[in-house]
Amino acid sequence: MSNKLLLPNRYKTIGWYIFIPATILGIILLFTDFESFPINAKVFAVFNEELLGKGGSFNIIQTNITPTVVGILFIMGAMLVSFSREKTEDEFIARLRQSSLLWAVFVNYVLLLIAFAFIYGMAFLDVMIYNMFTILIIFIIRFNYILYRNSKEMPNEKYNQSAASY
Amino acid sequence: MKNTIKVQRAIKGLTQEELAQKTSVSRQTINAMEANKYVPSTVLALKIAKVFNIPVEELFILEKND
Repeated sequence: MSNKLLLPNRYKTIGWYIFIPATILGIILLFTDFESFPINAKVFAVFNEELLGKGGSFNIIQTNITPTVVGILFIMGAMLVSFSREKTEDEFIARLRQSSLLWAVFVNYVLLLIAFAFIYGMAFLDVMIYNMFTILIIFIIRFNYILYRNSKEMPNEKYNQSAASY
Repeated sequence: MKNTIKVQRAIKGLTQEELAQKTSVSRQTINAMEANKYVPSTVLALKIAKVFNIPVEELFILEKND
């Protein structure tokens, strides 16, 4: 499988440094109705629609940009973690990546189906917020968990044991 | 399908790590093949056979249910 879309391995570490703090901030935001650490700033909005009152498009608006910043950092971090090469990105890792992506999309939509059937009203808005990030989250968990589990199953090899046989 | 990678490795006195380096894959891949969790591509199968200097058929053996 060609993996021209993947970044070099070092971006995975950078990704973790962005992804983990962004996850923590994101969780805090979710539990505080997106009102903690507000940063008010003027931003350019391609499209803006207020619940009550006027909206507009292609204008500068004043708003709390904390959810925007945290969301962008989260997605960037998660993408770096997901789409960077492993140290040795070989065919086995490529297959694991493929199967984890399939798994993530599948689990994501099963969860969404359940949410569609059983969650109504404003609560569904929360489902939509979570759902923006679940594919990446499920992928990262599944891919890295299997890598970790496989590396734990490897027997401990003493390197010099075979060096003698040369 | 079963394989004799582990046996061949023992004969040659190679560690998983060394075989991995010789075939430019990760050690995880060698380990997964030995545990019958992963069937390698034709390219990798040929590379491993070349390291051990044996035909692929001696390394990978079809089983009844294949």
